[in-house]
Amino acid sequence: MKWLELLQVGGVTLVAAVTLVVLYSLGVRLTAIAGDAQQKSPVLVRSLAYVCFAFCAAAVLFGIYLIVPYFGK
Amino acid sequence: MVALVIALALFFDFTNGFHDTANAMATPIATGAIKPKTAVALAAVLNLVGAFLSTEVAKTISGGLIREGSDGIHITPDIIFAGLMGAVLWNMITWLKGLPSSSSHALFGGLIGAAVVGIGFHSINFETVLQKVILPALFAPLIAGLVAYICTRLAYALTSRHDPETGDKLTQKRGGFRTGQIFTSSLVALAHGTNDAQKTMGIITLVLIAGGTQAPGSGPQFWVIAACAFAIAIGTYAGGWRIIRTMGSGLTEVKPAQGFSAETSTASAILASSHLGFALSTTQVASGSVIGSGLGRKGTSVRWGTAGKIALGWLFTLPASAIVGALTALLVSIGVVGVIIAAVVGTSAVLFMFVVSRKSHVGHHNAVEVEEAGHAVRFRKKKKSRKTTPSEDVQR
Repeated sequence: MKWLELLQVGGVTLVAAVTLVVLYSLGVRLTAIAGDAQQKSPVLVRSLAYVCFAFCAAAVLFGIYLIVPYFGK
Repeated sequence: MVALVIALALFFDFTNGFHDTANAMATPIATGAIKPKTAVALAAVLNLVGAFLSTEVAKTISGGLIREGSDGIHITPDIIFAGLMGAVLWNMITWLKGLPSSSSHALFGGLIGAAVVGIGFHSINFETVLQKVILPALFAPLIAGLVAYICTRLAYALTSRHDPETGDKLTQKRGGFRTGQIFTSSLVALAHGTNDAQKTMGIITLVLIAGGTQAPGSGPQFWVIAACAFAIAIGTYAGGWRIIRTMGSGLTEVKPAQGFSAETSTASAILASSHLGFALSTTQVASGSVIGSGLGRKGTSVRWGTAGKIALGWLFTLPASAIVGALTALLVSIGVVGVIIAAVVGTSAVLFMFVVSRKSHVGHHNAVEVEEAGHAVRFRKKKKSRKTTPSEDVQR
């Protein structure tokens, strides 16, 4: 039985999904903070948020890279 | 016979497409991230692209379920025809009921049933069936559900903001997850295209090889790839609104952060499984994710009745399509007359279900409750007047 593979799939799924969600959530939180009225440096916070989104996009692109076998060789 | 099988295979691809639109697009439609029609169009295009992207077909579609080769057992076009018939009919029935069920399981079931009747019990490799179908069916929703649960919890924990002094809620901008949903759901659609269109390509190639028109061991020809890609894209565009309704609002109420978490989990699970060799069904992963994300948000209830109905549908998928496959195989074994009877009965059954479906029409306009859509509209355009007319809902 392929228990090891099952475990592997579960683990990878967890790591990948959690990474994406954490990055994106941080981005969302940072945009919310940047929108606050009394925020002193909204530009900095906002750009941090964009960094989070960018990492998230990179992770998604890596996912696409994985499903296309053309790149896999 | 070969032509008939190809036609049926393409139709299966079509049903597969519209059956599985829901996996990718039910949650963004439910949260209002994408308009229903745009969503299915996007899914269709991505399915098309996905089908072309990955030409490396898993050649053994039956994947060892049916013992081939050494014992001199060959899969004939007859058996594939019977198997496809089982798969198509079961797909139509579950669509009519609005149940998300696995198209691949229907296909496996149909082929198994057909092979048992056409060749005999010894042709089935039961250990492989257990390993490839039954265990994944148990674990796919569990894994996806658990991951989606954790992700939803995280998403809410990370974005929740309270004023430290007053304890009032601060702006959370959770609507930002809607934008993210567009990308995650696209990823699911793309993954679906690379996976599911391949199955039909594999089958048609198998038939062509069996029919002697193509050299054994060669890959799918270009027209096969193109035909399958278009069949699945058209199917996706046709949109299985009934299943979208079940997935989008039948299981639990979906909010953007939840939808984002669910889709991310679905996409990760599909990608991980198809690249590490433990194949999980797209449909089961997606359903598990939606339930998991429902459990993860406080104050949401999961409609376990609907979930139970879906689980029951999964339980029946394999045996039911196996029975249809077996019956068709019996008919086909009579000879040409049997094939004609099978084709006619199959077509009329499909037509009948289509006619029945017309009576309670579920379309893009009423797939997901308008209340949700209205909420989305209000959310996006802040203080503009809501323009979701309740009249759209009357036809339901």
